[in-house]
Amino acid sequence: MSLLAQVVDWSALGQTVVAALLSGVGVAFTFSLGILGVARFTDGSRELGMLGMVAFGFLALFGMIATVAAIVFGVIVMTSS
Amino acid sequence: MTEADVILYIVVGTALAFDFTNGFHDTANVVATSISTRAMSPRIAVTYAAILNFAGAFISLEVAATVAGDVVVGDVITPTIVFAGLVGAIAWNLTTWYFGLPSSSSHALIGGVVGSAFAAVGSEAILSDGVIGKVLVPAIIAPIVAFIVGGLAIVVCYRVVGRQRPGPVTRGFRLGQVVSGGMLALAHGTNDAQKTMGVIALALIANGSLDNGADPPTWVIVSAATAIALGTYMGGWRIIRTMGTRIIKMDAAQGFSAQGAGSAVILASSHFGYPLSTTQVIAGGVMGAGAAKRVSAVRWGVAGNMVTAWILTFPMAAGIGALTYGVTQIFGNEVVGPVLIFSGGLFLSILAFVRRARAPMPV
Repeated sequence: MSLLAQVVDWSALGQTVVAALLSGVGVAFTFSLGILGVARFTDGSRELGMLGMVAFGFLALFGMIATVAAIVFGVIVMTSS
Repeated sequence: MTEADVILYIVVGTALAFDFTNGFHDTANVVATSISTRAMSPRIAVTYAAILNFAGAFISLEVAATVAGDVVVGDVITPTIVFAGLVGAIAWNLTTWYFGLPSSSSHALIGGVVGSAFAAVGSEAILSDGVIGKVLVPAIIAPIVAFIVGGLAIVVCYRVVGRQRPGPVTRGFRLGQVVSGGMLALAHGTNDAQKTMGVIALALIANGSLDNGADPPTWVIVSAATAIALGTYMGGWRIIRTMGTRIIKMDAAQGFSAQGAGSAVILASSHFGYPLSTTQVIAGGVMGAGAAKRVSAVRWGVAGNMVTAWILTFPMAAGIGALTYGVTQIFGNEVVGPVLIFSGGLFLSILAFVRRARAPMPV
């Protein structure tokens, strides 16, 4: 174990793992929110009131913008290295 | 033209040939899930991946720096050693490609160079700290992280959209796969094309044409990007079949989660200079996305074959690299051996591609 402690940069490896977890799961979450918003917005025009339509419209927009922002941020971080 | 120049040209040609094989060997992994879930047709998926592979090669140079500086001691490496290592990697790549096994081109490359350096100089040529700390340990951790990320991502997706009608949800995730597949192709270009740049840089350092620790010249970056993109475009249909359908039957959400997990792990690793195997990472993501839904959905037998291929990759490529180095020394001249091996390899490659060109291509 001491050999591994010496030769492995656990800090960099830990940051890699955390970054992968946050970005992978985070993008799945925001994109799913976007799909939920679009699905409810397009399917529920009769059962949802105006307020519901606006809310799910915003959810769709938020999900898509957050997903694109996360991807752009990731690429910017990559190109800055 | 000196003997050293001849060897250098052969090494650069062989490295670009390796990059090309890496493209058609590994990028199948990138497009398989998109094709499997019908998010894209094979032809469009492969073209799209080729373009983003090319673009990805320009994003970062951290992995190239690791391959050129953290695996073997640059001062004792000769172009012939690099050449023998490349032959080891290509031979193992083609063997696993022939049998449809998605093994790691990256570990084949590093294994081949380590093997030939060991045969030529001995253990003092190997930077074991770099090999363990920057290659082997991340190689074990990365697929596990991709498995976890893929599993968590699909759970999140199902939780959020679970009660919605399947039609719009499937269409949404197929659209998402266009983005996640593109990110995976970009990540692949970022990590894999750089390994070839690193190897060519190593040969240039050995030849005295590049200072130790310097970044690869622009022509190296452009040619490596072009070779991997061309290889990607040629496609690796055997491995697409294995990755896309034989491990697990996927829905669009699983494909999106698997590709998202793969690109997140590879891009984060490239940022820190870890030369990962895209094959291992995407397979980890695919299995995670499958196992989170239903453990029995994953065809563990196929997954087991892949693990066996991965375990064998490093030692087998190292062995072939060492053997090739031995063969190059039989002729008592630094040029004749590599020229003969390069010519033989070129002849066999042309034969293989002529045969392949006659086979029908899926559309």
